[in-house]
Amino acid sequence: MQPFIVEFIHSRKDELVERWLEELTAVRDKNLENMSDAVYQHTNREFIQTILHTLDADVEQTGERLSEFTSRLIKLGWPLGYFTQGLQTFRRMVFEALAAEEDDAKKVYRLSCDVEEWIDSIINQFVNDYNGSWESTINLQKMALRELSAPLIPVFENISVMPLIGTIDTERARLIMENLLEGVIEHRSQVVLIDITGVPVVDTMVANHIIQASEAVRLVGTECILVGIRPEIAQTIVNLGIELGKFPTKSSLQKGIETALEMTNKKMVDI
Amino acid sequence: MRIPILKLYDYLLISIQVELDDQTALRFQEDLLNKIHQEGSSGVVIDLTSVEVIDSFIAKVLGDVIAMSNLLGAKVVLTGIQPAVAITLVDMGVKLKGVPTALDLEQGLEKLQQELER
Repeated sequence: MQPFIVEFIHSRKDELVERWLEELTAVRDKNLENMSDAVYQHTNREFIQTILHTLDADVEQTGERLSEFTSRLIKLGWPLGYFTQGLQTFRRMVFEALAAEEDDAKKVYRLSCDVEEWIDSIINQFVNDYNGSWESTINLQKMALRELSAPLIPVFENISVMPLIGTIDTERARLIMENLLEGVIEHRSQVVLIDITGVPVVDTMVANHIIQASEAVRLVGTECILVGIRPEIAQTIVNLGIELGKFPTKSSLQKGIETALEMTNKKMVDI
Repeated sequence: MRIPILKLYDYLLISIQVELDDQTALRFQEDLLNKIHQEGSSGVVIDLTSVEVIDSFIAKVLGDVIAMSNLLGAKVVLTGIQPAVAITLVDMGVKLKGVPTALDLEQGLEKLQQELER
């Protein structure tokens, strides 16, 4: 950055900032309408101060200060678009001021290239910071979804239940199978109940996944019972001609548990 | 490489602790059938706890061994199939239909007794 520009911006600072604030207030985003004016103005001033700060300090310092500023705004939910727009507005103003001052077109062009570079680097950092925060949010959500996706719950000694909720796709089916097998080994279950009460649609693909999972469960030495078959699912299964094979099915988890207890030579008694 | 076959009362116990190659599997098939014939065993437990990989040939040999043993009058129970192995088998379409399975040796022996009582 040429010292001339730094000096120029510094000398015109107050005027630029005032004009910038005015213009930016006009484009105030819908999302920010609910924000109080005081907070809004304060953040805007902080924003422009942070930008101007990058003029004087060295790269490392400014990077840190910018990151700190963005991470705070991300938490507060300020949209990225607002800041890129703000930076672009500021850049345009600097150009205008420079053009008004200088007559030599070539010189103005060279100076504006410098300003461009400076603002772009700030925009880049903003975008990167926002992007990183979005990515980490998505990763957290994915992890949460995975954890909720296929839990195996031991209910009695040697009896476990896997409740399935929501649609089953191929990736989830694989997860279900892995969790099922590992859980069965870990809890030493002799009977495992797969509860599909919460699965809205059972088509050939879903049925196939469930059949595969139960085959695998049988191979490791555990019985599998499919419970929670609703009337409409029974109809689909028969209409589609799906062979649910030899493994037993029950209409409700309650009935399934009774059967499972029978299979492990246990029973419930009233006392 | 021979797989040791242990005798326990009326049963034969086999714990496979090596990765099976084709030769070993075939020799095992021969050994087991001879042993069943020799001892007149009524039940066999094959424990696969330490087996981490099974290919389609080994799976076929295992299925064959079980069918052959049944012909000789010995029930076979497979125990300790690892989750990863079970997934591979199902993916390959090897279902080992009608073969009793159990979580471990202990439950395998129980299962064998149940099977023999039927």
